[in-house]
Amino acid sequence: MEEGRSDVITLFGYRVSWAQLAWFGHRASGLGVLFYLFLHIVETSTVLFGPDVYNAAVGIFKNLPARLGEVLLMAALVYHALNGLRVIAMDFWPGLTVYYRPLTYGVISATIAAMIPLSFIMLRPFSPWAA
Amino acid sequence: MTATARRPRTIYTNPSRAARPKPEGSGSERLWWYFMRISGLLLVLLALGHMFIMHVLVELTGNEIDFAFVQSRWGTPFWRIYDFALLVLAFVHGANGARIVIADYVANRTLRGLLVGLLIGLAGIWLVLGMAVIVFFNPDAGAAMGPRS
Repeated sequence: MEEGRSDVITLFGYRVSWAQLAWFGHRASGLGVLFYLFLHIVETSTVLFGPDVYNAAVGIFKNLPARLGEVLLMAALVYHALNGLRVIAMDFWPGLTVYYRPLTYGVISATIAAMIPLSFIMLRPFSPWAA
Repeated sequence: MTATARRPRTIYTNPSRAARPKPEGSGSERLWWYFMRISGLLLVLLALGHMFIMHVLVELTGNEIDFAFVQSRWGTPFWRIYDFALLVLAFVHGANGARIVIADYVANRTLRGLLVGLLIGLAGIWLVLGMAVIVFFNPDAGAAMGPRS
């Protein structure tokens, strides 16, 4: 890696570029969402056993730790979607690679910006000021 | 501030630098490459729409996800078709993504075949289960079905 590159940061003692982080984030979020999908299908399939079983099954997820997990799931999906759009755009319009860095920073900033109101809405029922 | 030379405007051979370059051959790998991008575009709408309804609209309107909620939702064909499309696209997109990740890290042919086989087997079982739930759920008879109802 050449000296003076502005997209290289030091993380846990390793010099990594935002490009590597964007790539790793895409894989990690994708695998995370796939893992949740397996759980989600099992949870939803209990609907065939009637209201008692289904309401008990979804009741497992109605607490603060599970809700925090759902906020994380939302963040993973928002990031994977936005970064995926960037990947698709750059794959089909290679000229866009010139704007590789601003696009990557845009994806990360937009994910953080979207997660501020989303976390607020999702965590509100568990907040001290909840009705 | 260090003076850095202006970097040349390179157009990279792997343009996105976040996924795979498009496979050169015209075989199934190239079809999968297109599938990931087309299903990805659809999933941006379907998956984010699903999350928005279930975690934002339900929250803001003071609703709760329970059996009655599913009954009214899956009482309309639109949401069943929506959920069915989301399930199939998300699962195939996710399983193929996991297959590519496995292929990237497992160099041993036998182990790789075993892991990919296991992944496809599990994903197949789960996908059929998910499709069966959406197709066979009966909003009218649902309340009278099952061991504890």
